Amino acid sequence: MKFDPALALHSLPDMLHGLWATIALAASVVALGLLIAIPLAVARDSRHPVLAWSAAAYVIFFRGTPAMILLFFVYFGFGQVFGARDGFLGALFSNAFLCAVIGFTLNHSSYVTEIVRGGLLAVPKGLVEAAAALGIEPRDVFLRIRLPLAIRYGLKAYQNEVILFTKATAVVSVITVVDLTAVANNIFYDTYDPFTPLLTAAAFYWVLVNLLRIGLARVDAWLNAHLKADESRGQAIAVHSTARAPAPLAPLGEPAQ
Amino acid sequence: MPLQDLLGYLAQLLGGAAITVELAFSGYACALTVGTAWALLRRLDNPVGNAAWRAYASIFMGVPSVLVIFLFYYGGSAIIGGLVGIVGLRPRVDVSPFAAGLAALTVVQGAYSAEVISGAMRNVPRGQFEAARALGIRPYQVWWYVIMPQVARLALPGLTNIWVSVLKDTTLVALAGLNEIVARSRTAAGATKEPFLFFIAAALFFIVFSAATLKFSAGIERRLDRGIARPVSAGAEA
Repeated sequence: MKFDPALALHSLPDMLHGLWATIALAASVVALGLLIAIPLAVARDSRHPVLAWSAAAYVIFFRGTPAMILLFFVYFGFGQVFGARDGFLGALFSNAFLCAVIGFTLNHSSYVTEIVRGGLLAVPKGLVEAAAALGIEPRDVFLRIRLPLAIRYGLKAYQNEVILFTKATAVVSVITVVDLTAVANNIFYDTYDPFTPLLTAAAFYWVLVNLLRIGLARVDAWLNAHLKADESRGQAIAVHSTARAPAPLAPLGEPAQ
Repeated sequence: MPLQDLLGYLAQLLGGAAITVELAFSGYACALTVGTAWALLRRLDNPVGNAAWRAYASIFMGVPSVLVIFLFYYGGSAIIGGLVGIVGLRPRVDVSPFAAGLAALTVVQGAYSAEVISGAMRNVPRGQFEAARALGIRPYQVWWYVIMPQVARLALPGLTNIWVSVLKDTTLVALAGLNEIVARSRTAAGATKEPFLFFIAAALFFIVFSAATLKFSAGIERRLDRGIARPVSAGAEA
């Protein structure tokens, strides 16, 4: 077991290149995932049965399927159908990076849907009723009252999911995207040094994950500053403490506990 | 593509599923063992043990499982050689993808399991320990007959989540060359030009298998909860 600092230093430019790909991928998927998850979470509890069932089916399928299968599905499946064609779809599915964004977004958004939904369900009914009684329009009740609270309740679970997902991007090399793990792997095949490239990449991931963790914890502390004051006085806040427990894998059809 | 060939490839997929299931079960068992050991160590509240736990948890929860799998697969023989070399032996060992995957699942999911189990241990009321001691029950019996059943009950939901992620993480071992269901579905998709059929079949395996195990876990939960009287709720919702 030996770590070769010279090799690690030499590989830094390549590693940073890979790190950039990892960050670009994760950031695109996180943004798209949130964009898709909020309407889906609303659709899950829609009174319209077709809407509710299609959203539920989306969540069951894409949350239950490992990310690697979804990557294959998009890259080899849709890639084969559309990849050779001209036009928008052809350009989209022949680009491995874009396929990776689509594949991971399907997976990540279904987890976030359940988190947002758990948060929405945790908003006390009385608040919504009070808002309606004040004559606030349903759209504003959702955008200004339910959603902001749901985000606060769901933030802990969301933080876990974003971190788990960022680590999960490390499989993306199966569809030829050169991310941090792929760079480390390539250096291994060039040098047959089993430790140096992998440990260097691991250090980058570790820093990335911890920066994410600290950053999201700051956001959480900022949004939930009022709870922190209450907790320090030792008060139990039933609604908040149940809603904010991490439940990224809560069984479908039940509110997050 | 004749139907017979497609069925042949689907049979191959089933063989891969057997490998996946074998890895998932053995990985889960090892992760639970490691997790319980860490939880007990943390219970001792020893400064050295706590520092060791913090380092272990931070490392293995902070890096992707894929990297850990690669590290054990590429570096496994050097690691074992180095460890055994201390005793003076010089064996030649090759690490199979399955073994590397099993080791990686064990250390990574062991960290997550330890979190869940030690959380459950903290949530066993202190009165349970005191009452058991007051009854004169031997210390190891206190743990085995009084505390651990309650820890199991409290930890079950979290451990079920870990089971699902162990099952999904087995797919990562395909990157080290394990010929499990996802690797085989890829081969079949490439050979038959029927990607959707085989990838959906593989996806359905994971969905159906995890749903079946979740049902089983709900059954265990009911059994472990049988001693707990449900409070009569006046229509209150959680």
